[in-house]
Amino acid sequence: MTKRGTRLFFVIGTLASALIFVGLTIDSHRQIPKLTNSAAIDASVIAGKQVWHRKNCTNCHTLLGEGAYYAPDLTQIAAQRGDAYLREFLKDPAKFYSEQRDGRLMPNQNLTDQQIADVIAFLTWVGRIDTQGWPPRPILVRGSAVPGANVGAPTLQPASNDPVELGRVLFNATPPGCAACHSVAPGVNIVGPTLAGIASTAEARIKASDYHGGAKDAAGYIHESIVNPNAYVLTGPTYSAGGRSLMPPDYAQTLKPEQVDRIVAYLLSLK
Amino acid sequence: MRYRSQRVAYPYFVVALLLFGLQMVFGLLSAAKYLGPDPLIAILPFDVTKVIHTNLLLVWVITGFMGAAYYVVPEESRVELYSVRLAYVQLVIWTAMGVTAVVGYVFGWSAGNKLLEQPFPLKIVIVIVMLMFLYNLFMTIRAGGRLTTTEGVLVAGLACTALLYLPALLEFDNYTVTIFYRWWTVHLWVEGVWEMIQGGLLAYLLIRLSGADREVMEKWLYVIVGLTFISGILGTAHHYYWIGVPRYWLVFGGFFSALEPLSFFAMAMYAYYAMRRSGLAHPNTMALHWTIGSAVFSALGAGILGLAHTWPAVNKWTHGTLITPMHGHMAFFGAYVMIVLGMITYALPGLTGGQESRETAAGSWAFWLQVAGMFGMTMAFAAAGLTQTYLERILGIGYLDTQLKLQVHFLMLVATGTLYVLGVALFLWDFFFLAGRPSAGREEAGDLASARSAS
Repeated sequence: MTKRGTRLFFVIGTLASALIFVGLTIDSHRQIPKLTNSAAIDASVIAGKQVWHRKNCTNCHTLLGEGAYYAPDLTQIAAQRGDAYLREFLKDPAKFYSEQRDGRLMPNQNLTDQQIADVIAFLTWVGRIDTQGWPPRPILVRGSAVPGANVGAPTLQPASNDPVELGRVLFNATPPGCAACHSVAPGVNIVGPTLAGIASTAEARIKASDYHGGAKDAAGYIHESIVNPNAYVLTGPTYSAGGRSLMPPDYAQTLKPEQVDRIVAYLLSLK
Repeated sequence: MRYRSQRVAYPYFVVALLLFGLQMVFGLLSAAKYLGPDPLIAILPFDVTKVIHTNLLLVWVITGFMGAAYYVVPEESRVELYSVRLAYVQLVIWTAMGVTAVVGYVFGWSAGNKLLEQPFPLKIVIVIVMLMFLYNLFMTIRAGGRLTTTEGVLVAGLACTALLYLPALLEFDNYTVTIFYRWWTVHLWVEGVWEMIQGGLLAYLLIRLSGADREVMEKWLYVIVGLTFISGILGTAHHYYWIGVPRYWLVFGGFFSALEPLSFFAMAMYAYYAMRRSGLAHPNTMALHWTIGSAVFSALGAGILGLAHTWPAVNKWTHGTLITPMHGHMAFFGAYVMIVLGMITYALPGLTGGQESRETAAGSWAFWLQVAGMFGMTMAFAAAGLTQTYLERILGIGYLDTQLKLQVHFLMLVATGTLYVLGVALFLWDFFFLAGRPSAGREEAGDLASARSAS
């Protein structure tokens, strides 16, 4: 090949590639509104995006898998944690995590209530983007989707005396062994059903026509399910047999009342 | 060195290397923070050290490119630089911009768009500086009336660098669109037009160092940059897999990313054959080390380690893990750090004294410690990234619990990073204290602009 020939290869190759690239870009713009649900981008989402940028979040966290690798991915955090938890967390991360125990702690960003609401709106919108199936399994902040996989996890010590935190530790401890049968990851049914979003599920269930228990609210329902698993029996291959729940029926005796309350507080935070 | 105005490259190299040294401080700090708890969390949290680490890299490498271009272009066009004064003014503004950005980050002044965190006013300054720079190069080439392929590729790469920075000035309400155009700058820089710059400098250095035939070298340079763009432009797709764009980007990303190593292998072969043909006769052996090193390490870091996680079925699991910095560190080191250090090492004897070569033990240690340190860091990131992928992404163990299980790899990262930084320190020591300075009085330069005003 002569120099002229190689120059031609360079010019034509580059132009052709650039042309295809621009074509695909135009087509992407046509499809992005639907794929990203852009109709849902309201003033709050835009303001939340600004908070995300101005607070330099991307230089510790990843979002859609992009950013830095020093803090958890937040693509699905809104669905995993819910508004209430995220609000409390963003007000004071040290309430939920300890640098001594976890090795890292998010510095308090001193956000206003409005900024917190906006950034949660932004993260909620991001969580609904069509990501072509990524991540293939939920990325958890801590704990594990499969019980027992996380050998020697130091997260089994509470970071604070918050009832939710104490309840989380108890939930993962054996006894009572809740986590051995119940995952808190969406869609992971071990022996008992997943408890992801149980607070919302409970809310809906007490209103259902086939519910005959005594609970008046979500907290009451969760409490009842722990101390009296047969008040409402969920049918599932490993959940119940002959109309009776397979869950140990004696937590009312083996757990102290305040321990039950802590677990209820923790499960209520899973919205 | 044939033209007095080429000497303007020296202060550019000074600034580049000082910022390089500072980048190391923030790199080591960032690595140490992975070991936690962090005693500096209240004043310099990770996001600040990390953003300074990456931004200093971009700024000093571009400063190095600028110095290299001011060294290469007069020689290639056989004419003095259009304006040395303009080059100095440009350097002062550019350095002030860089320092302002770093100080700003410490106080939380950030645009928060990864690698393009420069606040908007500073982005405007960057555009102005790039225009001054390109104007100076353009006027020089016009005065010389001679444009070689080598400098053409180099200058076209620099011009495209400025052009592709423009999307970074735009803000979008849709985060997906923000990411989409962020890669037009970042990806098309490092896997596109910067490879033109690397290729141009590589050709220049190989022609000078090995005495290889210019016609042959420039012919193949077109093949290299052609391969770069054919694979690199559509290879942008590998950043578009999971961000909310159509599915076909997976197909394009998989295919064209697989082609991306070709241009890097072509560069490595290019260097190898140049040496085979013409021997290793040039007395500046350290410049040869850095030049060949650049070709080899970019093939490894950008070529192979990039390919390791661009296949969609793999990337689905590794996306957003420490696999990315494994590839990123070695790729940047090989492609851009080494080529700039090669240019500096090549130009230094001429800039300071006029002789063709100088060799010191410090210079040699600087090379081998950096190579060994970077290799070790890559291994540490690889071990950490693979473990993270299996534990966190496949087994479903929480992020924080997984990070605690990676501590031994972070220890290795800090240890090998320290080796690397020692290598950098030796390079700086050699440059600043052993190589001598350009003697005073020879500074006022016979450039074209001042010659014209004098006459």
